[in-house]
Amino acid sequence: MEQVIANGLYLGAQYALIALGLTLIFALMNVLNFAHGQMYVLGGFITYEVYGLMKLPFVVALLASALTLAALGALAERFLFRTVIRRSQREESTMLLAAGVAYFLDAAILLLFGEKQRGVPKIVKGVLSIDNLIIPWDRVLVAGLAVAFIVAFILMMQFTKPGRAMRALAQDRVAAQLMGVPVAFYGLVGFALGAMLAGLVGGLLVTITGVNSGIGGPISIKAFMMVMIGGAGVVGGAIAGGFILGMLESVGLTVLHAYGDITYLVIFVGLMVFLAIRPNGLMGKPWG
Amino acid sequence: MAPILTVRDLTKRYGGLTAVSEVSFDVEANEILSIIGPNGAGKSTIFKLISSFVKPTRGEVRFDGEVISGLSPHTVARKGVVRTFQETTIFKGMTARDSVIVAHHLRSRASLAGFYFGTATARRDEQEFGDSADEILEFLGLGPVRYELASNLPQGHLRALGIAVGLAANPKILLLDEPFAGMNADETARAVEMVRAVRERGLTLLLVEHDMAAVMKISDRIVVINFGVKIAEGTPAAIRADEKVIEAYLGVEDETIGL
Amino acid sequence: MKPAKNGLRVAAVAVFLLVVFVVVPAAIAASGRTDLYYTLSSVALLSIASGGVWLTFYIGRINIGQGAYSLVGGYVSAILVTTYGVSFWVSLPIAGLFCATASVLVGLPILRLRGVYFAMVTLILTEVARLAALALPITGGAKGITNIPPPGAIRIFGLTVVPAFDTFAERNAAFYFLSVTMMVLAFAALWRLVNSRLGRLFAALRQNEDLASSMGLNVPMLRVLAYAISSFLGGVGGAIFVAIAQSIYPSSFTVNDSVNFMLNCFLGGLSYVFGPMLGTLVLYFGWDLLFQAGEYQLLIYSGVMILLMLLLPNGLLSLRPPAIRPSLRMPAKRTS
Repeated sequence: MEQVIANGLYLGAQYALIALGLTLIFALMNVLNFAHGQMYVLGGFITYEVYGLMKLPFVVALLASALTLAALGALAERFLFRTVIRRSQREESTMLLAAGVAYFLDAAILLLFGEKQRGVPKIVKGVLSIDNLIIPWDRVLVAGLAVAFIVAFILMMQFTKPGRAMRALAQDRVAAQLMGVPVAFYGLVGFALGAMLAGLVGGLLVTITGVNSGIGGPISIKAFMMVMIGGAGVVGGAIAGGFILGMLESVGLTVLHAYGDITYLVIFVGLMVFLAIRPNGLMGKPWG
Repeated sequence: MAPILTVRDLTKRYGGLTAVSEVSFDVEANEILSIIGPNGAGKSTIFKLISSFVKPTRGEVRFDGEVISGLSPHTVARKGVVRTFQETTIFKGMTARDSVIVAHHLRSRASLAGFYFGTATARRDEQEFGDSADEILEFLGLGPVRYELASNLPQGHLRALGIAVGLAANPKILLLDEPFAGMNADETARAVEMVRAVRERGLTLLLVEHDMAAVMKISDRIVVINFGVKIAEGTPAAIRADEKVIEAYLGVEDETIGL
Repeated sequence: MKPAKNGLRVAAVAVFLLVVFVVVPAAIAASGRTDLYYTLSSVALLSIASGGVWLTFYIGRINIGQGAYSLVGGYVSAILVTTYGVSFWVSLPIAGLFCATASVLVGLPILRLRGVYFAMVTLILTEVARLAALALPITGGAKGITNIPPPGAIRIFGLTVVPAFDTFAERNAAFYFLSVTMMVLAFAALWRLVNSRLGRLFAALRQNEDLASSMGLNVPMLRVLAYAISSFLGGVGGAIFVAIAQSIYPSSFTVNDSVNFMLNCFLGGLSYVFGPMLGTLVLYFGWDLLFQAGEYQLLIYSGVMILLMLLLPNGLLSLRPPAIRPSLRMPAKRTS
């Protein structure tokens, strides 16, 4: 029982970090980042290259992942999304652009890193055992780091000037502009930050579950689900959604283990029913 | 004669916040009743409750004796309770005339299949609606601009278009959402005439409004709401003299309460 | 409609039909590229499904779930034909209607959602369909349904109107004509829809649901109607596809396909009925052509797609000269 909960919390922390990135981009730019999963994968591969192949310290690898994805996010916003937002008549176009970017990243990742499943040596060996609870130390570390990043993110959003600017922008773009917030700049920063978070989780999780080029899409779907559960555009919602999905997966895989694929079918159908009752998720901001 | 619309103990709570509390009043047929009150008093919530765009937490609204609170908005419209919107609510891609034609939907005799196949009934409807739309647009002074895209129309015309669209839906009672907002004295005078003329067509009118001068001039009766509660009801003269009303508007210039 | 415009339209349609039914088969016969029959059939069927998605865009919803209905439609047809011996031709409308009915049940609760929320729910719909196909006994699970016989003959009063497909020398040609006929019918129906009064109700709905409600438009019902038509088209497309492939698996239609249907609409131009047709043609052929590029296929494909989105954010058909652009307005002048 405790094992299930522990696993759920561990997964939840990772998922929350992924969801945060996605929800941040949505809150600031009204863009649903279809390519979020691919950004995760890219982060994972970069850490694999730097830590696994080049044998540099893990921290350096994480930094490399974070910075590369931040740069990618910034470029995507500046040259792709900004253009389409300005020129298109329909608000759906950004989602479709993101889909195109997702395909592009899928292709690039496959070409750059190949199709094999990749892993890296454990960053910390050994196992933590309390009573009948067994958690490998590296999972504890990764979960701890994830929580640390989440806390840092929340603190930044609450107490720093860029954080406040981005919150203003998310709440009301026009009002923020009138107050003198450079909305274009912070849109860029937000996108970069969201991408960076995805890359960070990728870097963290490659040490545990490894990475391969095909998981981008499924990760995106999971991220969407979390954001849907918790509500899009709200930080609390993303965190809640992440932990809820983590728990659901952990519980579901254990309880429904005998029935195979049913876990996700149940989760999906449950989610659809939930959304039919609470259209904006637990705390989300309505669309449009 | 029985009132055409009755509101009883109407209450709306959003979580911990009570927007409207136990509001009751009647609307007589063919009268012009205005709902007024300071900002945030709950007037627009009452408006949405009556037109069923919001479901009440408690209480009921009856139209022609039938309970309408809790029904879907389009059903309530079908029964003859039609609301207008603030001028930003339009069909962006349609001309004024097209918007008014679509608004005739409740009068159609053709079925959806008829719409699709363009049967004789549907075509007859279309012809009639076009004529009716022209008449309504003319009546409201929008004749010259009827082929303009709604998104190109200035605010004043949009306000009139909102009323046109409401009239097309063949209402028995028309709910006007701040029809005089942002108008100068001339425009208000014209709008007052327009509202009077609509009443002459046999409709009952329920207004939610801020502009006291206009409200005093045009209303048969007034209901005053403050903090979600009805604090007064009566003729303009009675309301003007009502202490509770004056107190609620304390800090507001005398002219605006029409003194 | 102005006579000149009308004449131009009729001519365009005639030319299109001529190309599709006469010129293309002749060209294929002459060049011997009979593989193109399969390619073009796929384009036609995928464009039908994309047309459905286009209709959901028309009422203001982002539908990334069409793959689910294509899968369901395919399975319905496959099961009816293999397990129950039903004729393919009978299974086709049944598949469509089954999907339409299912979509009503699904749509009633979810169509209240908008924007990203609706999109995300439809995305998981495709996955739900796939997982259900894996789990349900009737669908044969992961091994799918194979060895589906080709469509039989259509006989009316003893006269063979359509011969059995396995009697054709070039079976893919028969499928081509079937697919393209369905495509023409589907898009003709869609075109009529958006130009009819019903279409105007949908347009009103998309532009402002609240305002439409206040006019007495039964918004929930109209939304579900559009969604049901959309899903019907998805189911029919899927069913015919399965007939061509003679097999169906849970992975026959995936999230990728749902996303592609959406992209087809977008690339063609969301404001134009024929957008999905053009979009599907360009994207499908583009992908096929890029096969030459080997491992760079997806990279170039998506790169060009992104480029097109940047340059033509309103779709390929937005390049059309304004004179022929289909007007969403009513005839401007009334007869005096």
